[in-house]
Amino acid sequence: MKKINNFNIKNLILVFTLVLMATSCSDWIDHDLNTDPDSPADVPMNLLLPSIQQKMGYSLLGNDAVRTNNIWTQHFDGVDRQSYTEARYQITPADVNNLWSSVYTGMMINTSILINKAKTEGAESPNFAGVGQVLMATTLGITTDLFGDIPYSEALSGSQNILKPAYDSQESIYGSIFSLLDEAVVNLSSTTNAFQVKGDVCYNGNVDKWKKAAYSIKARHTLQLSGKKGNAAYTDALAAVANGFSSNADDLKVPFEDANRNPIFQFMEQRTDIRMGGTFIDMLLDSNDPRLPFYAAKDSDGNYSGSAAGSQNPDASRPGSYIASFNSSVSLMTYSELKFIEAEARLMLGQAGAQQAYEAAVAASVLRVTGSANTAWLVANINGVPVTLQNIIEQKYIDGVSTNQPYADYRRTGFPVLTIAQGALIPSIPVRFPYPQSEFDYNNENVPTVVLTDKVWWDQ
Amino acid sequence: MKTKFNGFLTLLLVLLVQITFAQEKTVTGKVSDASGPLPGVTVLIKGTKTGTQTDFDGNYSIKANTGAVLQFSFIGMKTIDQPVGASNSINIVMQEDAQSLEEVVVTAVGISRREKELGYNVQNVSAEQINAKPNADIVNSLAGATSGVQIVSSSGEAGASTYMTIRGSASITGNNQPLFIVNGMPIISGGGSSGVGGTNSSSRSIDINPDDVASISVLKGGAATALYGVRAANGAVIITTKSGKNLTSKKIEFHSSYGIDQVSQLPAMQKKYAQGLNGTWIGGNANSWGPEISSLEYNGDATYKWDPFGRLVPEGTGNGTPAKYYNPYDFFQDGAVSKNGISISNGNDQGNFFFSISNLQQEGIIPNNEYGRTTLRLNASTKLSENSTFGADLAYTNSRAVQIQKGSNVSGIMLGLLRSATTFDNSAGYEFPDGTQRNYRNGGGYDNPYWTANNIKFDEDVNRFTGGINFNIKFAEWFNVSYNGSVDWYNRRYRDQFKIGSRGNPTGYLAEYQYFGSVVNSDLLFNFQKEFSDDFSTKLTLGNNFYSSYGKSLFANATPLSIPDFYQLNNTSNNTASSGVGQSKTMAVFADLQLAFKDMLFLSLTGRNDWATTMPEANDDAFYPSASLGFVFTEIEGLKNNSVLSYGKLRASAAKTANIAPAYQTSNYFFAATAGDGWTNGVNFPYQGQTGFEVGTGLGNPDLKHETQESWEVGADLRFLHNRLGLDVTYFKNVNTDLLMSVPIANSSGFSSVFLNAASMESKGIEISLNANPIKSEDFNWEFVANFTKFTNIVTALSEGVDNVFLGGFTTPQVRAVVGQEYRSIFGEDWYRDSAGNVLINDDPTDSYRDGYPMTNTAQGLVPIGDFNPDWTANITNTMTYKNLSLSFLIDIKSGGQMYNGTAFAMNSFGTSERTVNREVYYNADGSINFNTTPAQNLVVMNGVYGHIATDGSTVSNGVTNVTPVVQDQAWFQGQGSNFGGGPSSAAMEPADWVRLRDITLAYNLPKIGKVLKEGQIYVTGKNLWVSTPYSGIDPETNLSGADNAQGMDYFNSPGTKSYMVGVKLTF
Repeated sequence: MKKINNFNIKNLILVFTLVLMATSCSDWIDHDLNTDPDSPADVPMNLLLPSIQQKMGYSLLGNDAVRTNNIWTQHFDGVDRQSYTEARYQITPADVNNLWSSVYTGMMINTSILINKAKTEGAESPNFAGVGQVLMATTLGITTDLFGDIPYSEALSGSQNILKPAYDSQESIYGSIFSLLDEAVVNLSSTTNAFQVKGDVCYNGNVDKWKKAAYSIKARHTLQLSGKKGNAAYTDALAAVANGFSSNADDLKVPFEDANRNPIFQFMEQRTDIRMGGTFIDMLLDSNDPRLPFYAAKDSDGNYSGSAAGSQNPDASRPGSYIASFNSSVSLMTYSELKFIEAEARLMLGQAGAQQAYEAAVAASVLRVTGSANTAWLVANINGVPVTLQNIIEQKYIDGVSTNQPYADYRRTGFPVLTIAQGALIPSIPVRFPYPQSEFDYNNENVPTVVLTDKVWWDQ
Repeated sequence: MKTKFNGFLTLLLVLLVQITFAQEKTVTGKVSDASGPLPGVTVLIKGTKTGTQTDFDGNYSIKANTGAVLQFSFIGMKTIDQPVGASNSINIVMQEDAQSLEEVVVTAVGISRREKELGYNVQNVSAEQINAKPNADIVNSLAGATSGVQIVSSSGEAGASTYMTIRGSASITGNNQPLFIVNGMPIISGGGSSGVGGTNSSSRSIDINPDDVASISVLKGGAATALYGVRAANGAVIITTKSGKNLTSKKIEFHSSYGIDQVSQLPAMQKKYAQGLNGTWIGGNANSWGPEISSLEYNGDATYKWDPFGRLVPEGTGNGTPAKYYNPYDFFQDGAVSKNGISISNGNDQGNFFFSISNLQQEGIIPNNEYGRTTLRLNASTKLSENSTFGADLAYTNSRAVQIQKGSNVSGIMLGLLRSATTFDNSAGYEFPDGTQRNYRNGGGYDNPYWTANNIKFDEDVNRFTGGINFNIKFAEWFNVSYNGSVDWYNRRYRDQFKIGSRGNPTGYLAEYQYFGSVVNSDLLFNFQKEFSDDFSTKLTLGNNFYSSYGKSLFANATPLSIPDFYQLNNTSNNTASSGVGQSKTMAVFADLQLAFKDMLFLSLTGRNDWATTMPEANDDAFYPSASLGFVFTEIEGLKNNSVLSYGKLRASAAKTANIAPAYQTSNYFFAATAGDGWTNGVNFPYQGQTGFEVGTGLGNPDLKHETQESWEVGADLRFLHNRLGLDVTYFKNVNTDLLMSVPIANSSGFSSVFLNAASMESKGIEISLNANPIKSEDFNWEFVANFTKFTNIVTALSEGVDNVFLGGFTTPQVRAVVGQEYRSIFGEDWYRDSAGNVLINDDPTDSYRDGYPMTNTAQGLVPIGDFNPDWTANITNTMTYKNLSLSFLIDIKSGGQMYNGTAFAMNSFGTSERTVNREVYYNADGSINFNTTPAQNLVVMNGVYGHIATDGSTVSNGVTNVTPVVQDQAWFQGQGSNFGGGPSSAAMEPADWVRLRDITLAYNLPKIGKVLKEGQIYVTGKNLWVSTPYSGIDPETNLSGADNAQGMDYFNSPGTKSYMVGVKLTF
């Protein structure tokens, strides 16, 4: 105790200051600090919408989906590296991880958030909900056509702790697509909206066009069930067509621009490993198609040529300006496709008007792609040529390059007739995508086991 | 190990004290030890500064009063106090001291303890062991210096990052690198993780000037670090810098060195075949599957802009200039490193200071790759009163680097070099007058490496200030208070620029990045001690810690660029900007109780309670205890003074430490939207003139709790034959549970991960250190130190239903954490195999696979194909001293572990790797090999058994060993013989063992020159001068993604280096 007396006053003050400092810092642990000031906890619908649309354009119509299946449909050919592997029909579960995650953790979750927000009690915005439902149905449709059975009814509920969603049959996914589109039509007709549709890079908030899009997407998928439902599919399709797009101006497209460039453009710029496919270019050459210079660039010899499937011809034409300009937009649904649907449905039902619809479809396609009517060519090559299913699907194939639809139609109809690629590693053209590695890793009890030659439901 | 450096200081002290004159007599005598006379022994009159030292023959002479006590001290010997009696002659025989027993080790929160007292393993690294090494980053100099520590330098580039772990890994996806403490101040040390492309960037440990370091303690186990609580799980590197303590007059140290780096081993190339495909020369073709180079000549066609000599045509049809092979490795240059540093220090009984300034400038082996560092440090301390001291440390570092693109990246240097066609000379120009690029793909494909080195750069600059104050007030012999408050502030900026025409950014690209990071730390300690008796004493420390971490980043980019070669954010029609922030605070109270009995038994108990802002309020605190026991059994009567076993200690300890979540993991957020695929740069916002957001893909979790690491270790420290031989053995086990991680979930849930207390991991193993002093004589001394480490690091659980987690890599292969496997296993596709594991060699002529070759099994997805982790590592340092000359060399051994040689696998497809040279093959009309015309040396038989794949996907094999000869031709290597043709990653796994001469140093200690030069040394040193490895690529001490958890990947990594350096150290 004697030593205590040696404490000098200064030291004592210091110690007390320190003790004070220590105790006054009881608010040091402030849990409000754990809220990220640089990231919002919530955002309005008009900021979600363009991000969903951009993703759909870039990923559903880009390299992860379209480039691969357009190699298989021989619109393109993979001449080098991974694209060459795909040209020989090798695609692994890991290869589709990106596409799957873009669909579920990009497009669909944000669309689901958008739709829920649009239904917020007291601030209902049915138009916004309707736009979301069209986008959801479009995404579901393209995704299920590639993969078959996919999660939906239990999907997108990670925040409710459903971490391993069950897979719904493709049949039930189709049911969901139709009911989403039917609800969308109702919602898009509403005039009482807390928030008007804004941020819309496809239609700039034009609700009528969204309504037409809903019918048009419905027409696509009702027709897709022709193998399952027979004439009912055509009848349903025609009913939808009647309310669908009425001109190219109605097309549902995602734009690209200098700052955000087209995915195939970026691939050709950064990877370069695809060329136009021999089958596709030969079809165009055969009929001297005016779309050829827009679909393909001249090869090194100044001609248009394609690389036969699996032939690894790097000297063939690269994708042209319509497909792969930096600002080429991509089409989620077109008027021309709708007219092809109409033509097929009328033809198969034996109704009048199939020929007109077919001619209108090709005319719309030529106009859209080339920017001019090319009437002389249409008269010489299309108009009056008796319509057949093969004609329709082959012209739809030419119209639909760099979209997913030709691959769906090929599996549904067998047109155009394709020969297997040189060096193919499986005996036939794949009729589906594999499920992603991430589902095998983290949802193994639900993901179906399939091989690339297993047909999806509507193809069975 | 007490250093000769400190010995020198003591000597200096003695020499410099003024001789005091008094009434006294002259005492003379001789000091010797078991081996003879001892020169240089300090003889001091105890309680004074008067002293002398023994001469060359061990004789001394000193004036002292009768009754005074003479103190004889010498490094490594027990100090002897001898009263001056009637005799004028005192001869002394000194006994060896248990070496380093009295060595003071800095342990957690700056508490100094004698090594003898510790109940856990701590290894010390001295200044000598690090400051003559040619490494900019001090962590590289720790490689091979201790047991239990793993260090991997990511490449030989100047300023490359370094990855360090102690006793394996404790976290699945979080940080596994140790805590760095400099003079009691926690500093930011990590960073340098780069992804598979882009550029390397430095680990922030590079900001430390190695010349400032006096010593480093490596705290390995939980008991050693338990007082760091939530920051303790990965071990700690405790650095003590030099100071003016113990000085009585000025000391000026000068250290200058100059070194050369050269590229070390490189993948072998084929030099026989030209650019082209199918045996035909094709200008601009991606591949080197063309005709034999010797069959070609140039045609001199000046209109062919891609080659100054024109196109290649068959011999006899051109201008006679023969085609030739261009060695891609001519691209590399000799790197150069120059380091200069000076320090000034001084001290007296009132205070001391240490000041240093240093500069390092390094040119890399890749042109334009640079690293530079300038450091300043001032450490000062003064007495405020007899019982109180105040000190401050201030350090400033400027680190600057220019990094060049690497790895899986169209601009990557090695990628461009090694894919380039054999007959294309990249050095003949990389840019045409119109600004477009000249490369081997006729403008497509990859950047010409010269274009990359000259037109693309990542320019990084870090300005960093670390500083702190400390004080100590001694209120009584039994009670003092100490305080250490510090900040570590740094600003890192980089500029990432791509010239217009670069393949990855054809329209040009500029990014500017600014980051401000800060750590503020405050440690207040109340220290009590009491000796209850001669046999029993206690020490108690009560402490409090505040810690705050903050980081704020700003990023902006511009692309496309409008004006060429002008790099400014406004030079574009489009720029984007973003910012990010991370902030967290922790608070702790802790106690450390030490009990000592008879200098024999030492018990230490610690406890710390931590609170953290990043944890949910309900679970924001946790308690972390530790206990450790050291038992020096040679202090037991009967075992004392044993001539064989000079010293023996048993250690045991157990601890619970932890880690906490990073900031903002308790809820969900939205982020600026982007869209991309695995192929392209993608798109983002603003887009169509508006902003866009998307929900984060990681789900937050409001129910997080602290993770825990329970660890224990036992060990023994045994020294024999007067400490000439020492053996230290430690067995440890760390059990990590409730590991916080972002657990991957099925993306169909709408999210890709959820943050959970999910995983468990276990690390256990043995560390052995052996040191010996086989020869010790007046002129020649040989010391030998060996460390051996063997441990396993197994993932024991991940989240329910999750059996693997992606750590890094590619679509395939990838590095993963997998339940039941070594942490960071490499996963990829494998060949089809039979049930016995034999590779199936196709025997079905009707299927699409080629007969006689193996087949990739794509159906089973990714399987484990190896891991980089060694089975064991060892390092051996020999130091031999002859008079003023010393030679020291470190041999470093890594046994076991594999690396993915994706470089060679991809080169196969391009036909540039050496293994593609035996490609020539001729076929008969029926498709069989024509054995008459096909060169016999090209025939190989693939390892495996005959078999094929049935139409239902099952494998069919009769188990018969394959004997079908085939040729590994273009079709093979562009097919399953490479990654591009769908070959399995397992085919590219190679053993990555090594034995390397990591360092060798020859030093000459200069004789004293008058009173001016007190000490001097000239040295030459080499690094990695000899590396023996079965790995066929570059030096396997490399990692594609830099300093991150995904180790073991080589995909066009920049090569390693070997270095030569000369240096001089002078002390005035």
